[in-house]
Amino acid sequence: MLARLRDVTKRYRTAEGVRDLTLDFPAGEIVGVLGLNGSGKSTLLKLIAGLLFPTTGMITVFDRPPRGVRSRVVYLGETDTLWPWMTPEDAERFMGGLYPDFDPARYRELLDALRVPMRKTKAMSKGERGRLRLAMALARSAKLYLLDEPLAGIDLISRETILTSLVREWHTDETILLSTHEVAEAEGLFERAIYLRDGRLALDARAEELRERGKSVVETFKEVLS
Amino acid sequence: MRGFKTLLWLEHRRSWVWLVSLLGSLAFWAWGIKQVRVMDVAERFGIRAGLLGMAAAIGALVLCLMIGRIRAETRHGQYQVLLLTPPSGYAHIGARYLYAAATAFVYAVTIGFLCWWIAALAGIHLDARTLFELTLAVPLYAIAVTVLPLLAWTLLLMVFISAYRISGPGWIPGTVMILGTPFAVRWLITGVGRISYSLPGWRLLANAPTALIERFGQPDVEGTLQMTSVIDRGVPIEPLLIMLALTAALLAIAGRIRQEVEA
Repeated sequence: MLARLRDVTKRYRTAEGVRDLTLDFPAGEIVGVLGLNGSGKSTLLKLIAGLLFPTTGMITVFDRPPRGVRSRVVYLGETDTLWPWMTPEDAERFMGGLYPDFDPARYRELLDALRVPMRKTKAMSKGERGRLRLAMALARSAKLYLLDEPLAGIDLISRETILTSLVREWHTDETILLSTHEVAEAEGLFERAIYLRDGRLALDARAEELRERGKSVVETFKEVLS
Repeated sequence: MRGFKTLLWLEHRRSWVWLVSLLGSLAFWAWGIKQVRVMDVAERFGIRAGLLGMAAAIGALVLCLMIGRIRAETRHGQYQVLLLTPPSGYAHIGARYLYAAATAFVYAVTIGFLCWWIAALAGIHLDARTLFELTLAVPLYAIAVTVLPLLAWTLLLMVFISAYRISGPGWIPGTVMILGTPFAVRWLITGVGRISYSLPGWRLLANAPTALIERFGQPDVEGTLQMTSVIDRGVPIEPLLIMLALTAALLAIAGRIRQEVEA
């Protein structure tokens, strides 16, 4: 099992991020983490990445506390986190110097495939920065990818490029947790969908099971969360 | 090691504008020094030395601002990116601190050269040993007892505040730390003063009185005695050792806290 959560609750100063979550993530799945704004999707991914500590409950990633294995997990946050002076070349030096599993050749291929311009991020559009961040993330050879809203605020063409890259770069022993509001566009990717409502698990279902019941991931989304 | 080098490179990319501005500001101070046109040579020398003292103090404050930019990084999410990288919190703190300390050293050495320059303008001719001490040993001692612990304290303060950002209001521990610092500093100064010169002092600028006498003539008996006493005793080693130990301790605490920070 790549990641386990047992009765995990995360409370912030004035609000609750997630509550009593118990989940298992085995190797080789693309999981959609779905929910409305404030449902706890980002909190869940940050907890698994080790950016947050649970208030109660236990999380293990590769059978260890998440902070201890951060070099083996790829986390792509929802915020635009690159330094404005950074160019794709700088990003390569940054990633290559800090992550032993970073593959420069794969990174350059991804830059080409995602059509990332070779200029400073401050001169890039939001979509271009998003694609650069995705290239940086996918050029690592990790087993667990946590992608928080990689499609947010990005134009349709770029979204399609990103989704195509995700499918192309995914290996069957890797697990991707993808949080997104673009449920309809990403639906074809998901093998499993986790629906969160007010920080609680509303439904954890395999996409195939949903289809057998004559429901799509999107229809279930509307049904469960509306 | 490769990770640490990359962190140093990152620190340089983030802070080189500060480094260039800080060193460039010394050109402004040099221009200001040149503008002092008081007739009395000793007074002119004193005013110029005072201006250099101001440059040193302002430089220390700018360095604190440079090293303490963690808050903006937490807001813009870059802190999150760095927290997830494999190097430990100690490596991140170390790289950030090393860059600022190196900048402080270069700045202090340049001020040392400016001291030599204002001495030359006043007609005081310093020998090679005094010049070496003025531009290397004195800056090293001065930053070790003042700027280095100050930078470590600033770094710890900012890491401390950022550690509370998610789970509690960060300004409360920050305010407590700031309010507590004057008491800690007073206690430290009293303690260091009490044990100073338990060890033999470090004789610095031993040849400077000769150069001063050559230029301004023999001072009165009391002045000669005072000058000889100060030069013979040298500067105390204890503050240097204590401040270096304190700096190391502050950095170790900052690194440990950074290991546990949420983002």
